[in-house]
Amino acid sequence: MNKKTGILVGAIVVLAALGVWVSLDNKASDPLAEVLDIASPLEISGLEPAKSGYLFTRMQAAETLFIINRERQLVPQLVENVEVSGDGLDWRMDVRDSVMFHDGTPLTAEVVATNLRRALARPGVLQNTPIDEIAVDASSVVISLREPFALLPAFLAHYSTLMLAPSSFNEAGDITAIVGTGAYQVNEVVPPLRIELSAFDDWWQGRANIEQVRYLAVPRGETRTMMSQSGDADLTLSLPPVATEQLASDPNINLQVVTIPRTRLLKLNTAKPFFDSAQERQALSLAINREALARVVMRNPDLAAEQLFPAAISGWSNRQLAPLEYDPQRARDLLNEAGWTLGDDGYLSRDDQRFEVTLRTYASWPDLPLLATAIQNQLAEVGIDLAISVGSYTEIPAGHQDGTLDLALITRSFSMVPDPLATVMEDYGPGGADWGAMNWVNDQAFGLIDQLSVSTDADARDAQLQQLTTLLHAELPTIPVVWSELAVAASKRLEGVYVDPYEQNYYLSDLRWVQE
Amino acid sequence: MKQRLMLRLMQCVAVVLMVGTLSFALMVALPGDPAMRIAAGRYGPDMMNSAIADQVRAELELEQPLAQRFVVWMGDLLRFDLGHSLVTGAPVVDEIGLQLGHSLMLALLAFAISLLIGPTLGALAGLMPGSWMDRTTLVLATALRAVPPFVLAVLMMVIFAVTLRWLPTAGFGSWQHLLLPAITLALGLAAMSSRVMRDAMVRVTREPYFAHARLKGLSDRAVVQRHGLRNASLPVFTYLGLQLVYLVEGVVVVESIFAFPGIGHALVHAIIARDVPMVQGTALAMGGLFVVLNSLVDLGCVQLDPRLRRAA
Amino acid sequence: MSSTVTLPADVLSEHPASSFWTLSRLAGAIILLMLALFAFLGPALIEADPLSQDYDAVLVAPGDAEHWLGTDQFGRSMLARLTHGARLSFVMALLTAASAALPGIALGILAAWRGGWVERLLVASSDVVLALPGLLLVLLLLAFSPGSFGPLYLGLALYLWVEFFRVARIEAARVFTQPVVEATLRLGFGWGYILRRLLLPALAMPMLTLFAFAMGSAVVAVSTLSAIHVGLRPPTPELGAIIVELMPHYSEAPWQVLMPATAIFLLVLSLQLFAGAKPR
Repeated sequence: MNKKTGILVGAIVVLAALGVWVSLDNKASDPLAEVLDIASPLEISGLEPAKSGYLFTRMQAAETLFIINRERQLVPQLVENVEVSGDGLDWRMDVRDSVMFHDGTPLTAEVVATNLRRALARPGVLQNTPIDEIAVDASSVVISLREPFALLPAFLAHYSTLMLAPSSFNEAGDITAIVGTGAYQVNEVVPPLRIELSAFDDWWQGRANIEQVRYLAVPRGETRTMMSQSGDADLTLSLPPVATEQLASDPNINLQVVTIPRTRLLKLNTAKPFFDSAQERQALSLAINREALARVVMRNPDLAAEQLFPAAISGWSNRQLAPLEYDPQRARDLLNEAGWTLGDDGYLSRDDQRFEVTLRTYASWPDLPLLATAIQNQLAEVGIDLAISVGSYTEIPAGHQDGTLDLALITRSFSMVPDPLATVMEDYGPGGADWGAMNWVNDQAFGLIDQLSVSTDADARDAQLQQLTTLLHAELPTIPVVWSELAVAASKRLEGVYVDPYEQNYYLSDLRWVQE
Repeated sequence: MKQRLMLRLMQCVAVVLMVGTLSFALMVALPGDPAMRIAAGRYGPDMMNSAIADQVRAELELEQPLAQRFVVWMGDLLRFDLGHSLVTGAPVVDEIGLQLGHSLMLALLAFAISLLIGPTLGALAGLMPGSWMDRTTLVLATALRAVPPFVLAVLMMVIFAVTLRWLPTAGFGSWQHLLLPAITLALGLAAMSSRVMRDAMVRVTREPYFAHARLKGLSDRAVVQRHGLRNASLPVFTYLGLQLVYLVEGVVVVESIFAFPGIGHALVHAIIARDVPMVQGTALAMGGLFVVLNSLVDLGCVQLDPRLRRAA
Repeated sequence: MSSTVTLPADVLSEHPASSFWTLSRLAGAIILLMLALFAFLGPALIEADPLSQDYDAVLVAPGDAEHWLGTDQFGRSMLARLTHGARLSFVMALLTAASAALPGIALGILAAWRGGWVERLLVASSDVVLALPGLLLVLLLLAFSPGSFGPLYLGLALYLWVEFFRVARIEAARVFTQPVVEATLRLGFGWGYILRRLLLPALAMPMLTLFAFAMGSAVVAVSTLSAIHVGLRPPTPELGAIIVELMPHYSEAPWQVLMPATAIFLLVLSLQLFAGAKPR
């Protein structure tokens, strides 16, 4: 027995000693050679730009032809002197001089064209553009369109169109390595969780300040919060709302919260008898207490979605619209007018049909199931029996296609292509979209979207935008619930942190360690 | 012994065929559109739509008749070709190799730590039933098992990473990164094995041969070493095989909390994304691993209790 | 010879009735009874609705006049959610553990008793079942009807029975190889007698320990599944799911996270105490 106790005590001593040694070991590292550790929830699902390209653009390993700058303007990045022909069909752009890939080869018009053709031939946003042909003329690339398309530069800022060196591909055309033009070159990718990068000497904008960068995908919000607190991560992205209060008071952390062009919304199947009239949809909207959802789940009452587009999206956010309100009594009245009567069980019915619907949502965004739980409770107050199904997000497009979907709680970004029109065009245009309207037909809206996609005149465009947003606000093909913000925690040892609301770039090259 | 190993080999083949067939059949029978899920896994929820899913369907020939796909797949399996992951496009064998390696490392370390703690405390408690030692280990073991592993994980992080800053919070690549997840897992395992050991020990001390050994005048230490531990270890050892499997597969949440790229993590992702080759691959890897570990445990049992040689 | 027959009767048989209620067993029984009252009478006695949300009283700390045990992140009464959750979880855990234990123990004894090809077949099939990852099993069964209880039980029971089988087989084999069995048979007692007097008493303790842990494992497994968003649908109050829901609030509302865990802990502990220690 003594021997056993001895072993036990020995084990504890060894463990404690290890702990001390490890802690000393950690502190012994050289501050200059320090690695910048980044923690984000996004996993690496592969090297293909359409899969995880956003990671490589954000980490500045690869770059796109255009980019949204800090003034939120779409500007050329790897090209210059963009010229559009009079009929709007031919776009000629010069490839920027002296841009080098990480393998030392130059970025040429030929390489740009090859990359674009590849993106066009594979699943990705480029397939939504009327691109007819991509040609090379000396040091310029000429893109010919089938019809005028003002949004082309925005699509060329999408991560699936990033530029890779010929050495990135194998003979079969598959990507075997990320050899880009960015500030950091990729040393190692360990899917699905880690990327290691180091500063690229010959970056066309000058060398980055911080030598080594390590990206770690950390799916759970609690873990990211603690990595930030413990100093294991110098830059922590997408912190859960709960953590913001906790980290705001942390002396070692600078917390930045920015509103991003992303809205949590209810997608309604307007072919279902429950949602086929604007009156019913308005009632549903009135039954939702957005302020409470924003306060309780998002931890910021200002995020209550007063309309589809948050104020951050200039031009699209319409100040003249009356904010969407919470008024359960008015909701009941509207539902009554639509023929729904309250039964003895406290739930509505009309012609023997109970107001019984299933809301599909998914947990990839951890707040969605929480919002759903609260919405379920709020809708029960007006007599709507809502069941919640939390599953794979694929069940929403699937339900859209086969028509089985009643309603879904989703999150929609308006900045994937950094012009909201690209998303709106798809989501609220004819036929609706998997992540947009469903069975909603409104010729006026369709007409406005058509005009917007070709119009270049600023005044006309403003008027059209105003009409369109007013229409979406009244018709509610989807019901906005809450807006979103992005919380980023940076170690106080870092300076130059800029949080890009379009989530296109982490601007790592501008970061530097605070000199003590 | 040769015959026994042959039997295990046959069993291994049976397990491989069974696991392969079952996972294929079940995955095909699942509701929902595989092309859609695969597209989602590849391109993420913001990019995925049904047009992309249609392209995936065409590319992967998911429209082919089921029987044909099955025959092709079984043929591949028999040639040890597990195919390519539908999501990442990398060969399944490579992915599994990487993930199984990580999981195995984590599991073995956790197992070693749990062996250090569990049976030791269990044996001590079992020798003194009703003592403070017995009661404390009971309450501790119960508490550890009543707390879901992810709660334990968060607790460990708060203590060792955030407060004490001894160990890194999450990630992988160095042995320091292994410690926190391994200890988290080990505590849960040790809770179980300590109780099994304790009960076995209590029973052994009541056996006549134990009393007899004492009457013979052997010292306490000799009695426990020669008679107590050996006999009490048998049920614990039986439990080890189960524990190893639990370790390899029951680590999903711990792995995802610690951002650790293990096989449990991979399996869940594969199921969500409907990555059939990966699901089959991970299931096969786990199945094969189980048979191997199980053979070792059986051999160990026979070593511990020679009487079982007769029974087997 | 006679001494070997009388010795095990003394060692292995149950205690006389007077010593059955040891202190720890009594304590276990009392905790168990209180938990049962909480779980089965609680929902009837407590008026608060486990589903009703109050956004003005979110994450109220325990000890509040209106909410004794505080509220969760939606302002729902923790007391109400715990009682309803305890009822659901305990019933589910009991069903799962029972449907795993009965076939597991029976097959374990059968395997040890018959030996030979019966044993080999049973062990082989248990190996095959085990070789199919338990997680995969539960996930696949759940995929057929997400959010429902049936597949959840079935999956967990299919996973847990092997544990009982394996330990029961080894323990039973150990009993069967004892000389006392041969002696008893030679004295003219039947297998029924051996089962009652020798086997079941020897199995009782390890099996009850396993059972207590299996019940705990079932609840914890449901919570683990909730953590990866496979399992019951919101807003069903279930102890494991409640822990998962409250987990992100661990720093602002630690008590609320610990409460459901405490309920699971008390359940497993009381079963342990009831099953376990027989100090002499």
